Amino acid sequence: MTRLRAWLLTAALLAPAIPFLPTPAAAQGIPQNIPRKELLILENPEGTIKNAAWFNIWAINAGSQSNGLQQAALDTLWYIDPEKGLDGAWDNSLAAEKPVYNADFTEMRVKLRRGLFWSDGVEFTSADVKATVDIQVKAGSMRFSAVLANNVASVEAPDAETVIFKLKKPNSRFHTNFTVRWGAIWILPKHVFDKVEDPAKFDFNKPVSLGAYTLHSFDPDGKWYIWQLREDWQRSSLGRYGKPGPKYLAYIDPGPPDKRVIAQLNHELDVIHDIAPEGMFTLAKQDKGTRAWFKGFPYGHPDPTLPAVIFNTQNEHLKNRDVRWALALMIDVKAVTMAAYRGAATISAIAVPPTGIHPEAYHKPMEAWLKDFEIDTGKSKVKPYDPTVGKQIADMLRPSMGDQIPSDPAVIANSFGLGWWKTNVAAAGELLTRAGFRKQGNQWLTPDGKPFVVRLMVEGDLRPVMTRAGTMIVQQWKQAGIDARIDVAQGTLLTRRAAGDFDAFIGWSVETWGGHQDLSYFMDSWHSQFVAEPGKPQPLRNWQRWTHPEIDKIIEDIRKIDFDDPKGVELGRDYVKLMTREMPIIPLMAYNVFTAMDQTYWKGYPTAEDPYANPVTNWGNSRYMFVRLKPAN
Amino acid sequence: MSAYPAYLAKRLAQFVMVVFIGVNLAFVITHASPIDPVEQSIAVVTSFGSTAPEAIAAMRSSLQELYGLKGTLAEQYLTFWSRVVRGDFGPSLSAFPTPVSALIGRALPWTAGLLIVSTLITWVLGNLLGGLAGYYQRNRTLKLMGVVAMGVHPIPYYIVALLLLIVFGFLWPVLPITGGSAMNLQQGWNWAFISSVVLHSILPALSLILIGLGSWFLGMRSLVSNIVTEDYVVYAETAGLDSRRVLGSYVMRNALAPQVTGLAMSLGGIFNGAVITEKVFGYPGVGTLLVDAVYAGDYGLVLGVTTVSIIAVSVGVLVIDLLYPLIDPRVELR
Repeated sequence: MTRLRAWLLTAALLAPAIPFLPTPAAAQGIPQNIPRKELLILENPEGTIKNAAWFNIWAINAGSQSNGLQQAALDTLWYIDPEKGLDGAWDNSLAAEKPVYNADFTEMRVKLRRGLFWSDGVEFTSADVKATVDIQVKAGSMRFSAVLANNVASVEAPDAETVIFKLKKPNSRFHTNFTVRWGAIWILPKHVFDKVEDPAKFDFNKPVSLGAYTLHSFDPDGKWYIWQLREDWQRSSLGRYGKPGPKYLAYIDPGPPDKRVIAQLNHELDVIHDIAPEGMFTLAKQDKGTRAWFKGFPYGHPDPTLPAVIFNTQNEHLKNRDVRWALALMIDVKAVTMAAYRGAATISAIAVPPTGIHPEAYHKPMEAWLKDFEIDTGKSKVKPYDPTVGKQIADMLRPSMGDQIPSDPAVIANSFGLGWWKTNVAAAGELLTRAGFRKQGNQWLTPDGKPFVVRLMVEGDLRPVMTRAGTMIVQQWKQAGIDARIDVAQGTLLTRRAAGDFDAFIGWSVETWGGHQDLSYFMDSWHSQFVAEPGKPQPLRNWQRWTHPEIDKIIEDIRKIDFDDPKGVELGRDYVKLMTREMPIIPLMAYNVFTAMDQTYWKGYPTAEDPYANPVTNWGNSRYMFVRLKPAN
Repeated sequence: MSAYPAYLAKRLAQFVMVVFIGVNLAFVITHASPIDPVEQSIAVVTSFGSTAPEAIAAMRSSLQELYGLKGTLAEQYLTFWSRVVRGDFGPSLSAFPTPVSALIGRALPWTAGLLIVSTLITWVLGNLLGGLAGYYQRNRTLKLMGVVAMGVHPIPYYIVALLLLIVFGFLWPVLPITGGSAMNLQQGWNWAFISSVVLHSILPALSLILIGLGSWFLGMRSLVSNIVTEDYVVYAETAGLDSRRVLGSYVMRNALAPQVTGLAMSLGGIFNGAVITEKVFGYPGVGTLLVDAVYAGDYGLVLGVTTVSIIAVSVGVLVIDLLYPLIDPRVELR
């Protein structure tokens, strides 16, 4: 065979591909036939949607909700932004005012806005709200059927703008079901669902919109969804803040983290929901147009959730507060933040995330109490709190990161957090000794003489940042003489967490509103009445299965007061003190979400300097950014 | 060929047995999974708001009822087989109430299109070049190809895929790096969509071809290297037959039999999807569907995909078994 033949063969094989070879511009991952300057491209973190043509968000497992459906097309009574909000964190959306309860919280009255319309021209009224409740209660197997059936005795719509919920039992937080944190009970269109035989099996395709956008097109294979601004956008609740900037929104599945970075470097993805710290550092270095929540280090937006070491307090050894505190004192959180986030974390010593309003409501006011907080180990008294840990992390990073690291103490506190617990292996040993443990060589033995084994469950590559944190903690425990082991759940965390099949795991049991000081969002389910027997599934949160008479008392007191009652903050601080004394979870840091925003085509994104909305793409309240975005040129 | 009917009956019986055992194994393995689809669904639902614990308990019970997970394992097993026989795998649990068959039906054309074309190209090219390399052992170009094949063959697939992504998606961004087609195109028999599908398949296909080519090349070269020393080849050459005729009629035809078996197995395996390829390139095929279903604890979908795959591979083997005695006189009918 001659070389000529070889070349001819190669050319013949490649020839059919020539018509398809594109110019660089045509190869970009941009929706076809839509002007780029009118289009905002956002990541749908749910990835590829299996049943892409489902838009009935009220049915279980039906389609995607982060594809723009809850951000662009749906609406409900109220929103609370984890940040400051456009007009305060609380936003009356479909409701005209805050909820009004009767004295014993058995009735909630809602006044609705008028002049709002569904995208098919039908006016939104109280009948839609009533139908949202009645249809789901009647169906029995829809997403919010159980919560509505458990709470609502009846719902009345005496006129087009008034809704009265009669509750089965006192509930001062019932409105939170209709209040968006990242999602909520969305209001459904009565005039559409009235014609449907089985609402649980209705695909709601094409969705009728109450938001500012309507569905333009979508991929039957679930890779992308495009939404178009309604011509009558003024008749949506968002309309009162002005005309949204982008005419089109594309929610896409850009693929794994490396491809998200490439897509943004190619300006094919305006908002990345979340990437690993390394991806964020790459974007910050290579693309001057990329902006994150913080302008420099640590970049990420602190979610109102709190990654922590969550103990199974039904475990025989971990029932003991001294043992839990001993394990906390063996941790060097600086090394943990370096392992997890390369230092780009906002630490928290207390069981409230350092997000939104919480630093002002809890972290800063409690500094004095934390500094005085003392542990009696039986042999000595120690003050474990070190108020300088946040600053130490900033100082540690400064040599390598240079002027990206802030020097203003207030900015450092805001970015890296305040203090944490000093590593104190000696005090930890004293606590373990008081708990009946003994040390043989470098190995801690339990009171019955066996090696003290603690398996720390992590999610694996599904959540690499937390997995790296867990690995570092296990290493530190091992160095201190604990037989600690990493237990990689790899997809089974939800099942095992519910079943209590773990010694400890890295995750969160604390989730807050962020923009509101009320802690009942997660705390109510911590009441001892809901804690499952060992081996039985645990209801939502309180994965630590922890009971304490004082937490019951705090919860019962919160249930009796109004959502905005200042006494709620006092009770919240009592909760923080109790959690610090008991340490059923070891708080670590905010869950920093590295949302990267490309300013090539759009400007006006929410940032730490202008925190008017949560930028994270799958949250319902990220819709507020649409009205502040303007074309970049 | 009088023994052929008995041979056919025996092979068909084996086929049924293999499918039965395989599908049963798939049922046992999926039901032994530690992932609970009910908890997965509850996690999604409760992420919307502070759902009361009593409501969670009620929802858990309702979901178990809805998903058909309340009966005993034996009842679930019988229901499963009655559905398999009817070709109905029930609803997907993670995409409830969409039927599993609808999800597979939508994903399969993508996988089949990508894998059939890339497998055939790889097979034809690999065998052609491998055969030439085995026969023309002194040709420098073919020798170089052998060295390249030896070098590329052991490279992990995802490294090749990542390199292609970086080169053609970032450094010289001429090819799309994710999805099956461009956004906002009407799916159907129109040029814009078809050309977009072809364009989007170039990188995943190229990555499959680059890695697959080496093994077919090396396998064929080895087979041909052995065959060229056989008496009948030496005799043909000594008799002065044209070397192209010797290569085509005597060497390649005899070397192809095991390669055809390999091809049938590869084509049967298409129903499993190219899991890594589809994940890396975000291709909307069966592989992606299967991985997502495993993570979601979606028994129905996992069983649907694996059952289709088991049947497809078994059919592939059966067809080869039935054809071999007809085309290869060396095969004995036992």
